[in-house]
Amino acid sequence: MKQTNTHLLIKYRMPALLFTLLCVVSIILPYASVGENSIRIFTLFSLNDFAKTMAGLYIAGVICSLVIKVLVMVRPIKSIARMALVLDVISAGSYSVLLFGSKSILDKAGIFDAGFMVKDFGIGYWLGLVMAYVALTFTMKLCKISTGYIVLTWLSIIWLFPILWIVLTSLRAESGYYVGYFIPRGFTLDNYKALFSKTSVIPFGKWWFNTFIVAICSCIISSMIVLMTSYVLSRVRFSWRGSLMRVMLIIGMFPGFMSMIAVYNILKGAGLSQSLGALIVVNVAGAAMGYYICKGFLDTIPRSLDEAAIIDGATRFQIFTRVTIPLSKPIIIYTVLTSFIGPWGDYIFPSMLLGDKQNSYTVAIGLKWMTDFRRINNYYTQFAAGAVLVSIPIVILFVALQRFYVEGLSGAVKG
Amino acid sequence: MKTINNKNKNGLVNVFKEGSLFNRLSFLIMGLGNICYGQIIKGIMFLAVEVMYILYMIRSGVNNLAGLTTLGTKQQGMVIDETQGIYVMEAGDNSMLILLWGVVTIVVSAVFLLGWYLSVRSGYEAYKTVKSGKKPANFFAEIKSLANQNIHIAFLTVPLLGILIFTVTPLIYMILMAFTNYDANHQPPGNLFDWVGLANFKALASSTGALAATFWPILAWTLIWGFVATFSCYFLGIFLAILINSKGIRFKKFWRTIFVLTMAIPAFISLLVIRTMVGENGILNVLLQQWGFTAQPLPFLTNGTWAKISVIVINLWIGIPATMLMTTGILMNIPAELYESAQIDGAGKVKTFIYITFPYMIFVTTPYLITQLIANFNNFGVIFFLTEGAPLSLNYYKGAGKTDLLVTWLYKLTTTNKDYNLAATIGIVIFVISAVFSLISYSRSGAVKNEEGFS
Repeated sequence: MKQTNTHLLIKYRMPALLFTLLCVVSIILPYASVGENSIRIFTLFSLNDFAKTMAGLYIAGVICSLVIKVLVMVRPIKSIARMALVLDVISAGSYSVLLFGSKSILDKAGIFDAGFMVKDFGIGYWLGLVMAYVALTFTMKLCKISTGYIVLTWLSIIWLFPILWIVLTSLRAESGYYVGYFIPRGFTLDNYKALFSKTSVIPFGKWWFNTFIVAICSCIISSMIVLMTSYVLSRVRFSWRGSLMRVMLIIGMFPGFMSMIAVYNILKGAGLSQSLGALIVVNVAGAAMGYYICKGFLDTIPRSLDEAAIIDGATRFQIFTRVTIPLSKPIIIYTVLTSFIGPWGDYIFPSMLLGDKQNSYTVAIGLKWMTDFRRINNYYTQFAAGAVLVSIPIVILFVALQRFYVEGLSGAVKG
Repeated sequence: MKTINNKNKNGLVNVFKEGSLFNRLSFLIMGLGNICYGQIIKGIMFLAVEVMYILYMIRSGVNNLAGLTTLGTKQQGMVIDETQGIYVMEAGDNSMLILLWGVVTIVVSAVFLLGWYLSVRSGYEAYKTVKSGKKPANFFAEIKSLANQNIHIAFLTVPLLGILIFTVTPLIYMILMAFTNYDANHQPPGNLFDWVGLANFKALASSTGALAATFWPILAWTLIWGFVATFSCYFLGIFLAILINSKGIRFKKFWRTIFVLTMAIPAFISLLVIRTMVGENGILNVLLQQWGFTAQPLPFLTNGTWAKISVIVINLWIGIPATMLMTTGILMNIPAELYESAQIDGAGKVKTFIYITFPYMIFVTTPYLITQLIANFNNFGVIFFLTEGAPLSLNYYKGAGKTDLLVTWLYKLTTTNKDYNLAATIGIVIFVISAVFSLISYSRSGAVKNEEGFS
């Protein structure tokens, strides 16, 4: 028999077999018990189709896996081991599903008078669940497949759960905040239509458009300001450069909205309050303070390029437009992205500036307004639809431009 | 401003000693130096600035500054109108506006002083040029220089004006407010408020009273939250990045995108959504009961201790992908030789992490970590959208809750309570905290810059 095998790590076949054996043993141990009343997994077969399928998958899975793993002991071949892997995934998966499904199965069938809780699972279930995962781990190692997939799968489920929920809610036909189930009974696009209908109390289309205008204007102007400030601070050495950077650092340590009352009064004095223009002005005014990351990137562009251009007779302004900007694509995209996302989701200043002028609301205030406890029951599904609509542009932008985001950020971290 | 003047004090003294009579006179009449040495347009502009400033000061500036000392003396009230024989409302002084205009005047004066300084210098430069037998640059040449050696003036004027008007001026105004009694009981225009010195700071720091009983627990929670939130996201984010980057994992981009998805959704949306999910009737409680994990709905955000743990855990959902994305780039930059030599020495995965990956990460990301720490002390979004500081506490000053951070308390003090003086005081406290941690960061950054030092 060949002891070395390039496709398998055969030192793991023994533990893989052993832990599957423990799974098989767990089948005959008690599955669940409430008080005196105790059942084994076989009881599930007589309940409903779902229970039958899951229990069947588990039992068949572990027994077949055991047989195959014995086979692997004799003949360590990649394709056979892969079969064991599939079976282990099935058994671990079906037992995980039963962790969440057992209560409804057992309660519907009326097995326990007092009702079933997770703490009532017996030694058979817990042993089976844990061993199924341990066996899966060893089988993966045997097949030289990273066990990280198990962790990643579970983490992905947790991370996608809220996203899935809000998307499903936005498509839900039944209105209301409280529903006792995850997957809607009926699907509809009415929630989306309601947001834009003329009769709706919620001018969501207007809100969306307001936010878009504010975000686009703020984004263009702030990006230019950040780029210009960073360029000057990175490339030009003037006498008050150091003091300017120190002063901006110190100012930046005060919480931004501490002074919002004063800003409000100043804007009121300028006749701008309660308007979107005021919002843009406020977003843009402090933009230069966010020069730090951009400057960190510009610092990495070799100065010799500037010097060469100066010898060729270029002015500083020409260097900025013809040398620096073409070389700064990642950081420009990063800056544009962050300065678009910022105003898009900003809440504090809009809420303070716009007050009760609902027509000028941005989506952040609007959506927050919809989740207020007095309104949540009426508007929850519409809120979900709104949330999806607000997220979509950003998600597309972000996922598409991810690479630049990382490049911009890691340049600055090393700064 | 002050630093500039101090640094160049010699400059001004020098101008007075070495400069011509016109230079000396330009200390009083701005632009005289320039006009006499051929830069007529520039000189006239300087002069115009001075005239405008003087007019402004005569018309309102002096009054504004005088108002700062008292913040208004005449309270709004009913007075008898002799001609009609009835009581009429007579407008009083508005302390808030007096303070605001006072601050504006101070800022305008500061900008004027800067202009004055520049004009004196500029006149002296022109004098020196003429003395050395050359012709001083004409106005158009100076405009042209804005695109070249003076590009910093062209590029920074607008951004700095924005900061001056919408950040510095309001900031000075608010800092001054911390030394007044502008609270809910002293609201203009009905009432006046006045300077009270350090009374607000004393009230917060004392050992008795509702304010102190709110301030200290909130400060403690802010610090705890900052550290726990930062480090939990940091380590778990690194863990996730290493996991996705490890050799055996395929479809790296796919996994990364799943987590980036949560980062891409605007934070206020995910927070509002999660808030509705963990409410008493939210889907999470519904499912937990359906699955048989709990018989009663869990008080995720309604019980003080639960809420504190919940916000930290929910923050992981947002924070881990961010760290993951950031550290991915850095992980790839770790020199491969380090890993190779470790492998030759027979180090396992854990040892490689402890002795290579981890020290390298800490070394490179310390500034990021401290920035994150400060950002988390001021993490308005997570707390505001998840709990709004709730659950409220009866022991706390009106409206403050158990999960309130200093910033969210500041927000409440400004928007609902209208205790602006306290809000300003807390803002200063936050500034002090941020400054302390930034100082630590900067004292370390020398080591960070010297990346070659790591091996």
